[in-house]
Amino acid sequence: MEELNCETVFKIPLFGGIGVSESTVVTWIIIAALTILSIIFVRNLKVENPGKIQLALESLFGWLQDFFDGIMGENGRRYVPYMITVILYIAVANLIGLLGFKPPTKDMNVTAGLAIMSIVLVEFAAIRARGTKGWLKKFMEPMAVVLPINILELFTRPLSLCMRLFGNVLGSFVIMELIKMLVPLLVPIPFNCYFDIFDGLIQAYVFVFLTALYVGEAVE
Amino acid sequence: MLSLNWNLLFTIINLIVLYLLMKKFLIGPVTGIMEKRKALIEDGLANADKANKDAQKMKQQYEDSLQNARQESERIMTTAKAEAKNEYNRIVEEAGEKAGKLLSGAQATIEAERAQTVKELQTEIAGLAMTAAKKIVNESGNDAVYDLFLSDVNAGDSTKSNGLEGDGSEDSDHR
Repeated sequence: MEELNCETVFKIPLFGGIGVSESTVVTWIIIAALTILSIIFVRNLKVENPGKIQLALESLFGWLQDFFDGIMGENGRRYVPYMITVILYIAVANLIGLLGFKPPTKDMNVTAGLAIMSIVLVEFAAIRARGTKGWLKKFMEPMAVVLPINILELFTRPLSLCMRLFGNVLGSFVIMELIKMLVPLLVPIPFNCYFDIFDGLIQAYVFVFLTALYVGEAVE
Repeated sequence: MLSLNWNLLFTIINLIVLYLLMKKFLIGPVTGIMEKRKALIEDGLANADKANKDAQKMKQQYEDSLQNARQESERIMTTAKAEAKNEYNRIVEEAGEKAGKLLSGAQATIEAERAQTVKELQTEIAGLAMTAAKKIVNESGNDAVYDLFLSDVNAGDSTKSNGLEGDGSEDSDHR
């Protein structure tokens, strides 16, 4: 069972010791890797005669931008960079198990942080688009009776986002560990492909898709 | 694993840091380059459109001027034709007039010459007749001629007096 635990890597000697867990450290690694890769890929971008890497990068960005534009519409264009960041982060975090790290998304602190950021973004977008009054009024639409449900949605949405991601990654991680324990040779490969790559990417997609949907609804 | 702790805060900070880094190093440049390319393409398209329009305009102008030139040449041709026809008519008329004048002049000359000739001939004939008459008189003697002459005169006189019966007395008075 020790694989399921998120170990504390070190403690910050403040307030009687704040434990910094493995997921946070792996996230730092991811941040560093993504930044360095970005710098390398972006280094010689050209307007004319783009190279193969630039073409791939641009088509990926074009696809992502079209995707988020389609969901969030004209008003949500300013939130596209955050969405791209999150999908990159979750995709890398889910796939990093292939490199032998423990996926950070297996730690509920990470998924909860992502979900809280998402709901903050959604509500921020709503306030920005409608003003505080309009934002508060939105809770009573289409009628006042639904007020409690709408308030509840403030908590259920991030909770469902958080738990879906966490559960999926943890579940696939546990199954993979079990398979590895049972048959360590060759057999894990197809399961690995499904659980780590396919499921990981699907979960990243679902997370940002739902967040974008909420944002689109908020700024509509 | 299922406990929330400080790492939640770390995650949020990490996310914000990652967002800023990505925006600066990845999303910013890539979006910028894509925007730049888009602007370049739009610029190029606008330029091409403008050039096309210019060419169209120039073609129109060219066609207009060609049309003008054609009309002008047609006009010139018509004028020249009309002038040439006028000139032709004038020349022909003049020639006709001149010819007519010449002809009538020639006719008058011929007429005059003929008259002259006739007169000359008459004179000649009269001369010849006189000579002939002289010759006859000389040959046959004067008496006979006088007789003949007188008889002739008498015959003529009698016819004359017959014709002028009314004023015969006046005639005699005059004489």
